[in-house]
Amino acid sequence: MAQELQSINLVAPAFKGINTEDSPLAQDPSFAEVADNAVIDKRGRIAARKGLSVITTNKTVLGSSKIRAIKEFKNNAGTTKVFSVGNNKIISGTTTLVDETPGSYSINADNWKMVNFNDNIYFFQRGLAPLIYNTVATGSSGGTGSTVKVLSTVNSASGLDDSTKFGNEILAAYGRLWTADFTDDKSTIYWTTLLSGHRWTGGTSGSIDISQVWPDGYDEIVALAAHNNHLIIFGRHSIVVYSGADNPATMTLSDTIAGIGCVDRDTVQSTGADVLFLSQTGLKSFGRTIQEKSMPISSLSGTITKDIIATLTVETESFRSVYHPEENFYLITFVGEDITFCFDVRATLENGSYRATRWPGTGFTSYVRQDNGTLLIGSVNGIGKYSGFQDNSGSYRFQYTSPELSFGDPAKLKFLKKIRPTIFGGEDSVIFFRWAYDFNSSSASAIITLTSNATSEYNVAEFNVGQFTSGQFLSRNNVNTSGSGGTLAINMEADINGKEMSLQEINVLALMGKTI
Amino acid sequence: MPLPQWIKDLGKSVVDTAGNAASAIADNAAPLALGSAGLLLAKEGYDKVGEVGQDAYEALSGYTEDGKFTPGLAQELQGMFEFQPYTVTTSTGSQYGSEMGESTVDADGNTIPGQMNFGIDLSANEKLFQDAQLKRAESMFGLAAGNTYDSQGVDEEGNPLPSREQDVFNRMMSGIRPEQVRESNRLQGQLQAQGRLGVRTEAYGGTPEGLAMAKAQEESYSQNMLNAMQYAGQEQSRQAQLGAGMLSSSYIPQSQLLSGLQPGMTGAEQRRQSLSQQAETYGSTYASGLQALLQSALGQSGIAGTLGTGLATEALGGMFKR
Repeated sequence: MAQELQSINLVAPAFKGINTEDSPLAQDPSFAEVADNAVIDKRGRIAARKGLSVITTNKTVLGSSKIRAIKEFKNNAGTTKVFSVGNNKIISGTTTLVDETPGSYSINADNWKMVNFNDNIYFFQRGLAPLIYNTVATGSSGGTGSTVKVLSTVNSASGLDDSTKFGNEILAAYGRLWTADFTDDKSTIYWTTLLSGHRWTGGTSGSIDISQVWPDGYDEIVALAAHNNHLIIFGRHSIVVYSGADNPATMTLSDTIAGIGCVDRDTVQSTGADVLFLSQTGLKSFGRTIQEKSMPISSLSGTITKDIIATLTVETESFRSVYHPEENFYLITFVGEDITFCFDVRATLENGSYRATRWPGTGFTSYVRQDNGTLLIGSVNGIGKYSGFQDNSGSYRFQYTSPELSFGDPAKLKFLKKIRPTIFGGEDSVIFFRWAYDFNSSSASAIITLTSNATSEYNVAEFNVGQFTSGQFLSRNNVNTSGSGGTLAINMEADINGKEMSLQEINVLALMGKTI
Repeated sequence: MPLPQWIKDLGKSVVDTAGNAASAIADNAAPLALGSAGLLLAKEGYDKVGEVGQDAYEALSGYTEDGKFTPGLAQELQGMFEFQPYTVTTSTGSQYGSEMGESTVDADGNTIPGQMNFGIDLSANEKLFQDAQLKRAESMFGLAAGNTYDSQGVDEEGNPLPSREQDVFNRMMSGIRPEQVRESNRLQGQLQAQGRLGVRTEAYGGTPEGLAMAKAQEESYSQNMLNAMQYAGQEQSRQAQLGAGMLSSSYIPQSQLLSGLQPGMTGAEQRRQSLSQQAETYGSTYASGLQALLQSALGQSGIAGTLGTGLATEALGGMFKR
């Protein structure tokens, strides 16, 4: 007697993001084995990320190099100017990139960090004389006047003669600039006098050598952060926290955390309520680290820890990150490996992790969130916006792979008959579906094209009430499948080329067979 | 007291002259002879007065006969009035004494009397005390005379010793140093606990607490330095005072001896006065006797003179009257 098809709904598949840590069999179908170029959209679905809309039209000064860092300078009058670095140059502008490198100033690396402070933007990089740009000719800034200049050349600049004290890390906080991570000194932090980023001696300037404070006896300062009147000093494998940093002369050690450090200064992002950073064991939260320091610390990247560690191990170039509250994500890019991990910061999973997706091969090399919420992305193409659904007018592949699905009983044989995905958007896109049984690497596949179902009611009036919305494209195509097995993994891939796409659910129709 | 010889001789001459005059008269050449006898008698009286004066002089001042000096009243009184040496001995055994030095004879053969020697002699214990006190006083004055800023010499290894002021300062600092070390350690521990050992600021050098402690220590350093200067100066004054006191006390035995001398001197003076009175009395009595003898001799010579003059006048006057 024919057996009735069983309908198994995978509602909002992968809305918990990637999970490569737990056993595939024991996994919740809400996880994904692969979620490339995906984000968790506002409705909690896995969706294709937005693309890179390049706005640079003239990148002559950049040549074939990449934008390594971007920063938006905004002075007190509200005038903005976007600075970026690349090709050993200081660059301004977004459409036409302009070389702003001071004359006779030689740059041999693009690992700049830029900070806004008191009507100025400062450029710091280890071993290179710091630079400054502002739009006022005088004042506490030292006065430079609309061109990027060497900081030590501005009026009343002090303490900038020793090239060994050109720090790699710079932080603007509590009315001062703070710098650390020098060529030959990895434990000292210097700060300027109040409100004067060019005066590193005199006034209330000073320094602190924390070589005797490291909880493990030795460490090297990697990054600095300010949070809740604390100065957070990230070492490679420990963290030191000082409270009362608004008065550095009297700030006191508030906390030390051993075993957790920061891999790179450019992974640190303040979210307002917390500070996120990438440690050797994954993404961490400073607030949670403080709370749980004496207990096993949960990782914000707990579902992809090994992936991150593996990527960290081979990364040789640089890291770039951005926190973007409008998109609710924290991006961390391993530039050398060309892999970006996207963490959805709206909520955490049961194990305390953020929902993570992966963006491979994007070519993104730097980020900045502008005051208006626009996320600017640097790449070899110049500067672009995180918008649209094309990467520099090209497509990119959105991919989802489910974990091994046992449908509650891995011992029973399943005969997969149909897959019926509910997909929002992606009109006219070609979708590749693959399915494989029992952890088999070889899979069967099918291709569907999302066709329009004429959901638009444009220009059709009802009872003289005009409805002029096009609605959202929704497709529920059937994919006929074959084969059988104890467990099943479903893969969906689509090239995103101008249309957003999100996966609402996958309805699997299967016959349950005998016990294996 | 027996009559002097010259008085006896004077009497004999008068008798002899009277006999001769009577004889002359009897011979009828008598007037001239009697006159001559009278004149002779008068001259005899006159001569006797001189002899009496000479004898009185010699009796008073002494005379030399055959190279031998026979002292007179003056020598006798000189001996009697001569200073009588005496010695005062205190209860602690110290003595004050005086003695006449030996006379000397100068080139002209004059005897120069010896000088009076006055001496005090402390007892052995007091002498020891005095010597010790003098040494102490010298030591104190030596200390007081030193410059408090100069090195006090060198140690056994030849290294210069610190000045007294420095020495005092070092002692003061050594007194407070343990607490300073404890405070520094406490601050170090506090800064270490606060992770602030490595703080260097332009405003404070290190930490504000470190600056406060350094200021406090510097203030105590400065205060101790001033105190050491003050103390060294005061100590110098004290040493000088002590030296003066010791010097003064070293003369206490001597002054006590001199104090004890006063009663001795009074007793000696009384004795001297007594001896003086005795000598005066003796001299006075002697002089009175001599005066009496002189008066007697003068009387006798006056009689002889008067007698001689009378005889001469009668004899010669009668002869010229005829």
